[in-house]
Amino acid sequence: MRELIKYSFLAKIRDLSLVFWPLVFPLVLTTAMYFSIGQMEESDFETIHAAIVTQSAGEEDVFQEYLEMMGDDKEASINVRPMAEEEAVTALENGDIDGIFYSGEEPSLTVGGKGLAQSILQMILESYTEGKQTLEDVSELHPEGMEAAIRQMSDYGSVTEDVSLGGRTTNTTAQFFYALIGMACLYGCFIGYQSAMDLQANLSALAARRCVSPVHRMQWILSETAVSFGLHFFNMIVLLAYMKYILRLQLESSYAQMLPVVIIGSMIGVTMGMFITSIGKMGEGVKIGIMISVSMVMSFLAGLMNADIKNAVDRNIPLLNRINPAALISDAMYCLNVYDAPVRFMQDIAILSVMCVLLLAGTFLIVRRERYGSI
Amino acid sequence: MIKIENLVKRYGDVVALDHFNLDVKEGEIFGLLGPNGSGKTTAINCMLALLKYDRGSIRIMGQEMAPDNYDVKRQIGIVMQDVAVFEELSVYENIDYFCSLYIKDKNRRKELVEEAIRFVGLEDYRKTYPKKLSGGLLRRLNIACGIAHKPKLIILDEPTVAVDPQSRNKILEGICELNRQGSTIIYTSHYMEEVEQICTRIAVMDHGRSIAVGTKEELKSMIKTGETVTIEAVILGADDLADLRNLPHVFDVKYEDQRLIVRCTGAKNNLINILSCLQEKDIPFGRVFSELPTLNDVFLEITGKQLRD
Repeated sequence: MRELIKYSFLAKIRDLSLVFWPLVFPLVLTTAMYFSIGQMEESDFETIHAAIVTQSAGEEDVFQEYLEMMGDDKEASINVRPMAEEEAVTALENGDIDGIFYSGEEPSLTVGGKGLAQSILQMILESYTEGKQTLEDVSELHPEGMEAAIRQMSDYGSVTEDVSLGGRTTNTTAQFFYALIGMACLYGCFIGYQSAMDLQANLSALAARRCVSPVHRMQWILSETAVSFGLHFFNMIVLLAYMKYILRLQLESSYAQMLPVVIIGSMIGVTMGMFITSIGKMGEGVKIGIMISVSMVMSFLAGLMNADIKNAVDRNIPLLNRINPAALISDAMYCLNVYDAPVRFMQDIAILSVMCVLLLAGTFLIVRRERYGSI
Repeated sequence: MIKIENLVKRYGDVVALDHFNLDVKEGEIFGLLGPNGSGKTTAINCMLALLKYDRGSIRIMGQEMAPDNYDVKRQIGIVMQDVAVFEELSVYENIDYFCSLYIKDKNRRKELVEEAIRFVGLEDYRKTYPKKLSGGLLRRLNIACGIAHKPKLIILDEPTVAVDPQSRNKILEGICELNRQGSTIIYTSHYMEEVEQICTRIAVMDHGRSIAVGTKEELKSMIKTGETVTIEAVILGADDLADLRNLPHVFDVKYEDQRLIVRCTGAKNNLINILSCLQEKDIPFGRVFSELPTLNDVFLEITGKQLRD
């Protein structure tokens, strides 16, 4: 048994396709998604550059102070530099800045085009003008309330915060990564495929040679399944660790909580591959095609390419996502890390477990054959 | 060693084995000779309990062969027609793996693996992976994986297909050596020269039936042909051919493209008689060959077709 496991393991980890699809591909896809989503988020908050040209001494300090205060706000990401008018115009023409503020009695703004940055600069100016007008009105009509008015206007504290039902901050991009974990689990089918090829005498000469040896059929099945599952479980741990510690993605629950999902998910992936490979007399290419198609369609419906897909399926055909292992794995991860919904999590785990048992039983019934009709 | 009685195997409407019988004795190199599709590999797969069959019985070493008859399986070595090794394991690892399925003791296994490597001449390729081996070396590895555990019965299913002459000779010598060491060999091939060269007894197969069994001498004695004389570059008329047919011991004359083939029963002076006939008629001729009967002649006479049809 030791040699069966040792050499089966060696053969699998040296097989490039068994390393690439279940391990390298999900890692590469995770990295690509991480950077593409990261860039999308960064582009929303790109720093806006502007110049301030001082036109009269009186207003200079107040408006410039206001702009400096905006620049200090990290979330605002606005950089305003004092410049001479000629220098500012040149910079605007060159596209180095998005607009020029002119301080003075009536502060004004010149922009070089239309866009988000220009709109934000316009809003800043309007905000200043309205605030100035308010304070002037207060000083004229209720001078005793001037101090309170200034204090209130200086308080920019946020009044809303995004939180989940479980009390944790939501992250819409997380759903992509949870769906990706689901896909990676299902990609264990490639390892299962190879195991079935090596087990069934009607599928390969190597399997036929193994079948005529004096090793009990059950030993073959157990050793192959154990190695395949162990290997893919390791792949999944590597992926989770990469997400959590290298990319620092939002995997807030402990490994102990995530392990059942990954264990059952890996098992489903491996047995799905064994099952598809063992049934029918299709060619190897057809079987691999079926495996890839099934995995990708399930992952797509679980929100791998677009999180809205999973939501749309949940709304319109909820049953589909309750029998889609990729969606269940994604949902279970979401329950753990975002919703904090133990009942739903347990439902996901229960359905996944039933699927796993059914696939295992089906696969076992096929691969336990000892004699074949044709080879 | 092996006794097969009335084995019938059908693939749908196709009868692959038609009341096939076989009796292999211990210590033999037994050849299963037949064209592609004659049922050799099907017979082997039934013997190994890999294939279901419709009728008949298979007994190996006195026991009914079944998938769970591990006592018998332990004493069998198989060399498949297709190379059956792990692409991802080195030569040593492959042999060690297959040997480990039969031999549990690590030290004993190490000795056997080394012996098998020496036996097939792969000493310089211990750490080489199969995809780096030539076709001949790969076949040798395939053989080493099947014989490393020193089985009592070795079944080789066309082990020399697509092998260069040097490796082929090495393989055939190795098979004889295994037999000398005490193994009973079953060797299937459609190369009659190989079977003639190494087998002590031969079963000729066609359409899933064993059509003749015996030593090569016994098989050749079953047929009428004792000698075949071929004469090239000769121009003959109908009268000449009639005279040739009337020569003593001649039973078949074929003439095509200035090439004359005369089959005679076993007798002396057949060649002299034919050449004298041509000389008397003053007929010039080119090269002359005289051949003793081959297994191909046996197959031809029994089935009416060439072995490689």
